[in-house]
Amino acid sequence: MAKEPVRVLVTGAAGQIGYALVPMIARGIMLGADQPVILHMLDIPPAAEALNGVKMELVDAAFPLLKGVVATTDAVEGCTGVNVAVMVGGFPRKEGMERKDVMSKNVSIYKSQAAALEKHAAPNCKVLVVANPANTNALILKEFAPSIPEKNITCLTRLDHNRALGQISERLSVPVSDVKNVIIWGNHSSTQYPDVNHAKVQTSSGEKPVRELVKNDEWLNGEFITTVQQRGAAIIKARKLSSALSAASSACDHIRDWVLGTPEGTFVSMGVYSDGSYDVPSGLIYSFPVTCRNGEWSIVQGLPIDEVSRKKMDLTAEELKEEKDLAYSCLS
Amino acid sequence: MEVVGGEVDYTFVIQKSLVLLICVGLAWKMIVYMCNLLKIEKEPIRVLVTGAAGNIGYAIAPMIARGIMLGPDQPMILHLLDIEPASKSLEAVKMELQDSAFPLLQGVITTTNVDESCKDVNIAIMIGGFARKEGMERRDVMSKNAVIFKAQALALERYASDDCKVLVVANPANTNALILKEFAPSIPEENITCLTRLDHNRAQARLAEKLSVPVSSVKNVIVWGNHSSTQYPDTSHAMVSTKTGDQPVKELLVADQKWLKNEFITEVQQRGAEILRARKQSSALSAASAACDHIHDWFLGTPKGNWVSMGVCSDGSYGIPPGLVYSFPVNCEKGSWKIVQGLSIDEFSREKMDDSARELAEEQDLAYSCLNL
Repeated sequence: MAKEPVRVLVTGAAGQIGYALVPMIARGIMLGADQPVILHMLDIPPAAEALNGVKMELVDAAFPLLKGVVATTDAVEGCTGVNVAVMVGGFPRKEGMERKDVMSKNVSIYKSQAAALEKHAAPNCKVLVVANPANTNALILKEFAPSIPEKNITCLTRLDHNRALGQISERLSVPVSDVKNVIIWGNHSSTQYPDVNHAKVQTSSGEKPVRELVKNDEWLNGEFITTVQQRGAAIIKARKLSSALSAASSACDHIRDWVLGTPEGTFVSMGVYSDGSYDVPSGLIYSFPVTCRNGEWSIVQGLPIDEVSRKKMDLTAEELKEEKDLAYSCLS
Repeated sequence: MEVVGGEVDYTFVIQKSLVLLICVGLAWKMIVYMCNLLKIEKEPIRVLVTGAAGNIGYAIAPMIARGIMLGPDQPMILHLLDIEPASKSLEAVKMELQDSAFPLLQGVITTTNVDESCKDVNIAIMIGGFARKEGMERRDVMSKNAVIFKAQALALERYASDDCKVLVVANPANTNALILKEFAPSIPEENITCLTRLDHNRAQARLAEKLSVPVSSVKNVIVWGNHSSTQYPDTSHAMVSTKTGDQPVKELLVADQKWLKNEFITEVQQRGAEILRARKQSSALSAASAACDHIHDWFLGTPKGNWVSMGVCSDGSYGIPPGLVYSFPVNCEKGSWKIVQGLSIDEFSREKMDDSARELAEEQDLAYSCLNL
């Protein structure tokens, strides 16, 4: 018997990431090859025609799993009945804008979307915030949608996680599927901390720690980290546009693993509401290593944290605290 | 069986049974072990995408890497080709593919050198071409593309794998495919095709919308002819799967015969322009998706009782001049396509099919004159 369709909301759907993301969702990459979906695409009125163009293309692609498309500029219609919400829409920084201005604009967007989601989304709706500043936008969403369980509000650091896997696999010339358990700690910003202390590589003689195989701590503690932290900027430099393809793909991975579970022995990175684990202040949306099972994530506990890691993890928590203060000041 | 004093020796039976069981157990373990040794992961397939730095390339690359084109257990190596001015963008696409950590993607080669791009490729998706600019004459567009596809034909012939399957997407798709065929004579002509699956999918979707049924329950539409405004979306053999079995579309839409012969056809024919008006850019998402469908079904077969449309070298079927690259209804099995034979063609269809064939013959003449053939 065919499954009931799941409603998936994508905000900012007329943009670049939306255009890359919607066919992935419609093909079953996000929720599995046997899970029908109904897409809700939301964007602002100036993008209404372009949004309709995307809807037409989704229809033209004759996707067997796609059971319906709602294309709207009305947040209520967009949010009604949705089981998954991928918040791609936000206010991007323009040249000359102050950080406070960007924060201010996004804070009001996420405050109003929180209200719409809380009122109209399906119970147990899973939310993934992609738009930057992702962690703080997710925090605002949480604050203004108190009846959405805080465990259901997350932000995307899977892109950074996948980038880290990619860098290790390039360095070691191994298939990327043989590398696992890197961790992205903290903020999806330049203070993120890509940590390989628990990462492993599958070899013919079993799993080996990444540090052991790379044999270059200088690289792992230096260039590797900055490459991953600054990868977004590197893509913008080369494409003149930000990464849409890889962001969309990682958003699919984030949701898929959350809903369908992580493989045994593998953990992934998700920006989630901190419960104080690893001495990260609670009340922040912070990226942790997690496993997923039965539709729930849990922070991997008990990983030893060395001094270098401690410093970096604290630094990114500091930045998040500052962003939180800035965001709240914009709201008063 | 040993019989001691006329009675069965059960100790003996038990001993022998135990030995037998142990032998069977060991043999089974050996069989399983050997089977695991033989379970080798599939060899990666090399897929070339030309014009890879453009919009369709950007949409299709992750689709290929996720296994949509070739199946969820088929690894691949991507060859991405574009022109020199796009080389930075091309590098960025490669970076993003690496950043996505696709398990099936075993390598990415980016190049602006046609020969290098074609080396050992098993599949070639030709998206790159010269797009018509405002004020350009049809002859000029044709001329530029003829030159591009001649050069690519030579490279493919020399460097691609013998079994290479080619899909031409860049417009004029049919005629570009024809040029490719002419200048790559050692590539079997059945391996050179052009994309009309986008029109096919559009027709299927439009019918599903009209009938308020899921798109996957509509089947056997046909797109005949040229991937242009003379294409003929034909519903005479289309069916809808319902709870009570398959029903012909023309019976379900018996009150809409006029619509089927007029608005439906023009809507499908002009859908590309409609998307362009709305998005201010041409359809990349749906074109990329249709290209994946085209290759997927070609490689892995069409479902039973369900055909698709492909632009292929005409063998004279249905009175279409042989040698043209013309869209036909086809079934696919074991990596080969076969034109569906024996479909009845009414007068209305005949006229439209011939119109499109005539346009293709004209395009062929124009293309050849550009190449001084």
